[in-house]
Amino acid sequence: MRLRWRKTVNKVMLAATGVCTLISISALFVILAYLLINGTKSLDWNFFTQLPKATGEAGGGMANAILGTLEIVGLASVMGIPIGFMAGVYLAEFEDKAFGAVVRYTADLLNGVPSIIVGILAWTLVVVGMRHFSAFAGSVALAVMLIPIVTRQTEQFLREVPMSLREGALALGASKWKMIATVVVPAGSKGVVTGMILGVARIAGETAPLLFTALNNQFWGGLNQPTASLPVMIYNRAISPYEDWHRQAWAAGLVLIAMVLIANIAARLVLARGISVPRG
Amino acid sequence: MKTILAISAAALLSAAAAHAQKINAAGATFPAPIYQKWFGEYHGANPGVEINYQAVGSGAGIKQLTDGTVDFGASDMPMTAEQIKAMKVPPLHFPTVMGAVVLTYNVAGITQELKFSPDVIADIYLAKITKWSDPRLAKDNPGVKFPKDDIIVVRRTDGSGTTFVFTDYLSKVSPEWKMKVGANTSVSWPGQTLGGAQNPGVAGLIKQTPGSIGYVELIYAVQNKMPYAQVKNSSGNFVKASLESVTEAAAGAAKNMPADFRVSITDAPGKNAYPISTFTWLLIPSSIPDAGKAKAVKGFLQWMLTAGQKDCSGLTYAPLPSEIVAKEEKQIAQVK
Repeated sequence: MRLRWRKTVNKVMLAATGVCTLISISALFVILAYLLINGTKSLDWNFFTQLPKATGEAGGGMANAILGTLEIVGLASVMGIPIGFMAGVYLAEFEDKAFGAVVRYTADLLNGVPSIIVGILAWTLVVVGMRHFSAFAGSVALAVMLIPIVTRQTEQFLREVPMSLREGALALGASKWKMIATVVVPAGSKGVVTGMILGVARIAGETAPLLFTALNNQFWGGLNQPTASLPVMIYNRAISPYEDWHRQAWAAGLVLIAMVLIANIAARLVLARGISVPRG
Repeated sequence: MKTILAISAAALLSAAAAHAQKINAAGATFPAPIYQKWFGEYHGANPGVEINYQAVGSGAGIKQLTDGTVDFGASDMPMTAEQIKAMKVPPLHFPTVMGAVVLTYNVAGITQELKFSPDVIADIYLAKITKWSDPRLAKDNPGVKFPKDDIIVVRRTDGSGTTFVFTDYLSKVSPEWKMKVGANTSVSWPGQTLGGAQNPGVAGLIKQTPGSIGYVELIYAVQNKMPYAQVKNSSGNFVKASLESVTEAAAGAAKNMPADFRVSITDAPGKNAYPISTFTWLLIPSSIPDAGKAKAVKGFLQWMLTAGQKDCSGLTYAPLPSEIVAKEEKQIAQVK
């Protein structure tokens, strides 16, 4: 009797986990398929080379938004990754207990701050301070979001490096910074870099922090100018009443997700070629 | 290392800024279709000038101009005396085009052009008329078979010049509206309403919501092939928004334009005047310290008043009367 009950429970739970797994995986494929079906219709050469047309006019492209996204996310990575990485190294290797706990807790809190709030922060500090909207202001907002992600990921993956490696390095006479730079970080690098890429992919799709920092631009923009980006373009196009703009929003969604996937896959390929623990 | 970084950062920034005179503007969505066409065209003719216009709404445009985060603003509501006082550099109002706020709707089974009396519009927005089958609607529209559906009232969520024009009109035709709600870029709406962001957002909502009615600039209804209503004017005629009916509404103002161009033409006299008409303005600081920017802005204003006016009718805006163009050309000299 009991055995049968247990077996039933087992089957039910197994089925439930299976179904849930299927749902979570299929979400990605449904999104991809939907984007492919709707996005490809409006995707042509012009989309990558032309500037957007005026409200309600058909045609045109999003060349400026594609470049703008690369610019904003690139600059955010340049600002956010080194800071996040160093903070992660500190937490994993040098931690002073009380202070480390505070840093860790703050990073987690910052991670949970709604992105629109981060946008307001960048607006107040950069836009109002510099007296104009700019790609730079958008990058600051995204960098603020990127730092805690990279910090926590770096810390986690460095902690997974076995203590014996550290002890070995120190026993051979390496100083602490040398041990970290030549043993711990290379050993954890796969995970750390993956964490960085996931962080960058995460911020690449953010709209809210860019709405009133990078604003938008129907021309090319520039670091010091309001600049178009794909997420803001998608938002503007999607709430508009124009069919043609809706198609362009789908196309922009497809391009954005393709950029993220390409970055992801490329990084994985580079990593797969094997930086691991240096031997010898 | 630090110096290298600083130099390369400076190089990047200046390389981005070196080629064109970049000017940033933001404001009304009401004239956005023609502004973006203008700024695109002007850039084509003058590759050295890039004017980036972001349609964020009149309220936000005035706010950003006051904060100094844009070079100039745009609004369908003339700035109030208080708003002008809050600015460090007093702004000049430049009327650009005239347009109409139209009532557009999505009612099951109705393809005809509906007719609305001013009191009916006010009472719909005062939530006194709540059903499409209301007898007062039927009275203005003999022969139209209305469904029993609830009326879903759509309005703007953002600070909007279009909202100002519409509520300014309602305040003139309905004493109750004037007392209870008044005219502004955003008001507290009496009944239950559905909110959309900016002109495109409102048009999108109405398209998707059966039983809805809302107000947008004419071009947004035309571009989306949405029906829009005839409105009874002060002479008692039902008039459809068009180039001619808007121009007629502005005829009085054209002759007696105040020196600062801040004027309302809602509920204007005239046999065929469309009653919810308005000018829309560029708000230009009277002093632009950057000489390059000042030159570019003045160049654009001159072009807008002459060559630019030819684009109006294609986008269903009414061009400025010649008296006003002449007056504005004189005002350009006041931009220092």
